Amino acid sequence: MVNLTIDGKQITVPKNATIYEAARDNGIHIPVLCYAKKLLPYGACRICLVEVEQMKGRLIPSCTTPVTEGMVVTTTSEEIVKVRKTVLEFLLVNHVIDCPVCDKGGECDLQDLTYEYEVVTNRFEGEKFDLPTDEVNPLIERNMNRCVLCGKCVRVCDEVVGYGSYSFINRGFETKIATAFDRGLHCEFCGQCVSMCPVGALLPRPFKFKARPWQLNEVDTVCGYCGNGCTVTLGILDKKVETIRFNDKIGVNDGNLCIRGRFGYSYVNSDDRLTKPLVRKGNQLVETEWDEALQVVADGLKKAQDGKGAGILSGARLTNEEMFLLKNLAKTLGTGNLDHSGGECYKGVTEGLLETLGVQASTGTFPQIENTDVVLAIRNDFYDTHPVVGMVINQAVRRNNAQLLVVSGKGGKLSKLPRAKTLLSGPGLELDVLNGLCQVLLEEGLAKTDGLEGLVALKQSLAEFTADKVATKTGVDADALREAARQLAGAGNAAIMLAYGLPYTPLSKELAVAAANLSLLTGIAGREGSGIYLCGEKANSQGAIDLGLLPAADGLGAQAMLDAAAGGKLDALYVVGEDPVASFPDRDKVEKALEQVPFLVVQDLFLSSTAAKANVVLPAASFAEKDGTFTNAERRIQRVRAGVPSPGEAKTDGEIIAALDAQLGGSLAFTGPEAIFAEIGKDVPAYAVNYTEIGPQGVVWGGEILQPVARKLGEAVAAPMVEGAYRLVTGSALHHSGTTSTHAKGPLAVVPEPFVEMSRADAATLGVKEGDLVKVAGNGVELKLKAKVDLRMPQGVLFAPYHFKESGVNRMFKTESVISVTISK
Amino acid sequence: MTDYTQVLFKNRRPGETASLETYEKTGGYEGLRIALQKTPGEICAQVKYSGLRGRGGAGFPTGVKWSFFPADQPGEKYLVCNGDEMEPGTYKDRQLLLADPHQLIEGMVIAAYALQAPVGYIFLRYAYEDCSQVIERAIAEAEAAGYLGKDILGSGFSCELHLHRSAGRYILGEETALINGLEGRRPNPRSKPPFPAQRGLFGRPTNVNNIETLANVPHIMRNGNAWYQQLSAPESSPGTKLFGLSGHFNRTECFELPLGVTLREVVQEYGGGLRNGKRFKACLPGGASSPYMTAEHLDVAMDFNALEEIGSRLGTAGVTAFDEDTCMVAVTRNINRFFARESCGWCTPCRDGLQTISWLLDKIENGQGTEDDLTMLHDQVRNINGRSFCALAEGAMGPVEALLRLFEDEIKEHIRKGKCPFG
Repeated sequence: MVNLTIDGKQITVPKNATIYEAARDNGIHIPVLCYAKKLLPYGACRICLVEVEQMKGRLIPSCTTPVTEGMVVTTTSEEIVKVRKTVLEFLLVNHVIDCPVCDKGGECDLQDLTYEYEVVTNRFEGEKFDLPTDEVNPLIERNMNRCVLCGKCVRVCDEVVGYGSYSFINRGFETKIATAFDRGLHCEFCGQCVSMCPVGALLPRPFKFKARPWQLNEVDTVCGYCGNGCTVTLGILDKKVETIRFNDKIGVNDGNLCIRGRFGYSYVNSDDRLTKPLVRKGNQLVETEWDEALQVVADGLKKAQDGKGAGILSGARLTNEEMFLLKNLAKTLGTGNLDHSGGECYKGVTEGLLETLGVQASTGTFPQIENTDVVLAIRNDFYDTHPVVGMVINQAVRRNNAQLLVVSGKGGKLSKLPRAKTLLSGPGLELDVLNGLCQVLLEEGLAKTDGLEGLVALKQSLAEFTADKVATKTGVDADALREAARQLAGAGNAAIMLAYGLPYTPLSKELAVAAANLSLLTGIAGREGSGIYLCGEKANSQGAIDLGLLPAADGLGAQAMLDAAAGGKLDALYVVGEDPVASFPDRDKVEKALEQVPFLVVQDLFLSSTAAKANVVLPAASFAEKDGTFTNAERRIQRVRAGVPSPGEAKTDGEIIAALDAQLGGSLAFTGPEAIFAEIGKDVPAYAVNYTEIGPQGVVWGGEILQPVARKLGEAVAAPMVEGAYRLVTGSALHHSGTTSTHAKGPLAVVPEPFVEMSRADAATLGVKEGDLVKVAGNGVELKLKAKVDLRMPQGVLFAPYHFKESGVNRMFKTESVISVTISK
Repeated sequence: MTDYTQVLFKNRRPGETASLETYEKTGGYEGLRIALQKTPGEICAQVKYSGLRGRGGAGFPTGVKWSFFPADQPGEKYLVCNGDEMEPGTYKDRQLLLADPHQLIEGMVIAAYALQAPVGYIFLRYAYEDCSQVIERAIAEAEAAGYLGKDILGSGFSCELHLHRSAGRYILGEETALINGLEGRRPNPRSKPPFPAQRGLFGRPTNVNNIETLANVPHIMRNGNAWYQQLSAPESSPGTKLFGLSGHFNRTECFELPLGVTLREVVQEYGGGLRNGKRFKACLPGGASSPYMTAEHLDVAMDFNALEEIGSRLGTAGVTAFDEDTCMVAVTRNINRFFARESCGWCTPCRDGLQTISWLLDKIENGQGTEDDLTMLHDQVRNINGRSFCALAEGAMGPVEALLRLFEDEIKEHIRKGKCPFG
């Protein structure tokens, strides 16, 4: 700690604090413009200059100067005020004063500072620029005439996002911020730059002329897309979500967002939302009243339960409270056939971890990743499924020189980060590489084997996974594999990252076991500062596991229910917040199941392809319309808050489930999220938290480090080898999450339709150009997809994301992770 | 012209670059042999007590700078030679390289040993194609002769030198901007602290010295501090200095003179007076960023301290002379345009402030200036000095501040007449 005096006030601050931070944390105001909490010190704008008695003769930038013992600082004097005024005059010399039409008006740092320092006139006169605005992209408007060159966009894109879209160009007065070759943005469109811009130079285009900032009602909630659990702030005008803002002051994940969180909100306002219950009459789904619809559902489910049985299949974007109610509804109904989306997938991964570590969740928290020495990412897709945790990895790499290791069947963003080492395997063979890493650890005596069960069996099963054998099978360089294992073993702190989700269903348990083995052999599991991270695809994937939204001992899981329905052995299916036709593997089977099942109820926001087949469709609320809690992939229980009412007569899933429960004679009343959360606490001890005490940072159940309760190594198994000139894999695309984002304008503006991605060499061989329609055939299915050519793809490997229902990718993938295909123009 | 001892230029022959053989014949690489017998600490101490001051412009004591360097710290450390030489009116490093380049190589190897920074980069001005060839040849010769590379002269010390040609911007002469440039980044200066000695090139301890500074080191090693100090009169500024003459002199050449010669001697003896027999009006004593000297300063000694006492700076000792017919407003405007253009654009006072000064000087020179503009000009110097991120803007204020201090009447005449009195 360091003692210093600021404006006569004696203060004590940590020794790595800057003068600005010391002042801020002690309630002393120093104006800043280019400073940002989450970026490295910069010191360019010179608005934060102060006087330091020990450094007389010049003014000192408080945002870059570290405190020293005994420092005496003055933050305001006649001279300082004059300098700050002059800086503002300088900035205003070539700034277009178009505040009346600038969307930033009212929350603009330049405006506020000009006001604070009463810069009424400008002594300087000169030319103003008339630079064209960037009209190329639909999401981010760049008006460089308003830019104050604080460099925050350049810095956040480099330091946090790791993309590097922007740079300063030119010199002197003509300095400006530009994209590559000044051609306009062509990036991830995460909008982090928009969040950071202190003026109106970077604006969210969809929000233009929608509202003045002070008219917006702001509600902090949790992003409804993936398991990162980023805090998003709904910007609401007239009961409508007009924009998503960020909260870097108290929010989770530092206010960092990706394109989905930042621009993927418009589905909430979509005209396609369901507003009234629909009941099938004849061949038509007809709008009805809630009473009637609920009666039909209750009767149908009861009848089915009395017959061959009913099943409940849920999505993973319900709140914990809603999942709890759904579990109880299953009890009321008397069925053990209950599961949430993916079934095999989520279950596989969590079972794998349960068998080895005895826990079913990530053992660390996200902020700890930033300070690790080595990060092992399984599949490059990790960035695409969980971009904001990907940004944490980027910061670990860039700021703290962490070594990033990527085990993947294709290239991607993570592989491009500085010093990243990619163990590039054949498609779908990541499992073998993980086993290979375990084998090297054991072979070279690097493994920490004390207290581990199952070592002998593991060693036996690893005989087939020596570095050389893995190299031969997967194509990974044997020496690189050995080196990676050594780095992992030698790391003080390390993180193993594994994302899971619907497109990654095959071999999920085996992958989790292999990752857990690795975490045990390296000692990563349970070590302070280290962790194995299992990241669910959806906003509340972890909650579904924690609450046990899973089949009863004698009940059927997701796939089993679909099998039963397809075989005429199930009489009713109640699907809540999921579109299995579009997203589950083996669409043919799903379609057959839904056609065969006599009574189908679907509860959703939209008339999805699953809902279109239903007997009853119940209109549900989006994440922006409900209160409750989500649990993110680091076990953080966070408050979800309603910002807007649901359209028409749509109700929250909780309200619907409770009403249905009442119809079925259940005892469960919808008493509001707080009371239900208290009920959950009785069932799930980790959730015994006071609802009102869940603050902006949420509550991490199990603490920052979740200690494994078992240390049992699982046996290694091999991934099946798929041969063929072209091999197709599926997965997530960065701009989308599940199928919901295909209803959102933002993500659609960048990735509007399904595609198949291929290497440049393959494109040349096939004579295919970007955007050409190509035929991909395999597994008895032929798909027509637009070609995308990218350097990240290895030759002979094709990738098609699963989000788009029209693509039919899930018709081709039944239980495989890789399919041998033919491709032609 | 007095027959002063030539140290750096002793092998200078018109149109010739001294070969390794010539260099060795005149005592070349003896300094290195002597240095390698000493401990690194002893060399640093000797350089410190020699009184050698940096020749890049700031005149900071070289040995003191070296003493900040964590030579004992394990891991990579770098030595960087700043050969950007972009200061207008400055060409002495080029003359030195073209005359006798091995002085730099020897100086760098000694510095590398003294600082225990065995990897060195020579960062050379973009336009110096001829120098780059000379350096490359000198590096190759030194390597072949065992003065550079592995196990130098059997001492066990190894050193490698790399030549890097600048992308060509004035700001690259600022040492932290130079480091960014060397790393392949946009050459914006870096925030200090951390200083390069703590975190410089590639995040490692780095020492940056000017070409002429490093070239002095072998001579100090070979001949000792007493010899070095007797080369010049002023105790505070020992040694010789390369003076590059330009502007309205009759002779615009580079001379090696002892520090402390008077400006009169430089102007009359070496510059041969001003062309067309005109009278000396003013000069920039050390590049475009040094405040003007006038005829009243002709008897001032050209050394670091004496020039600071009269409100100027020795800078690079690139002396640019202006005769009696020169409009100093026009000169200052021209210089300021250069600095405004070369500002990296990072910090507000430099990026926007220098431009506003350009506008003011344009206005005055074009005869549209007012008394308010003069007041504003005074104010602007205060607004910019000591407020900017690096020294560029402060350097740019040198001539502007001197214009206001020494030639205010000339500015007022512009305002009064509504035109430039020099036509």
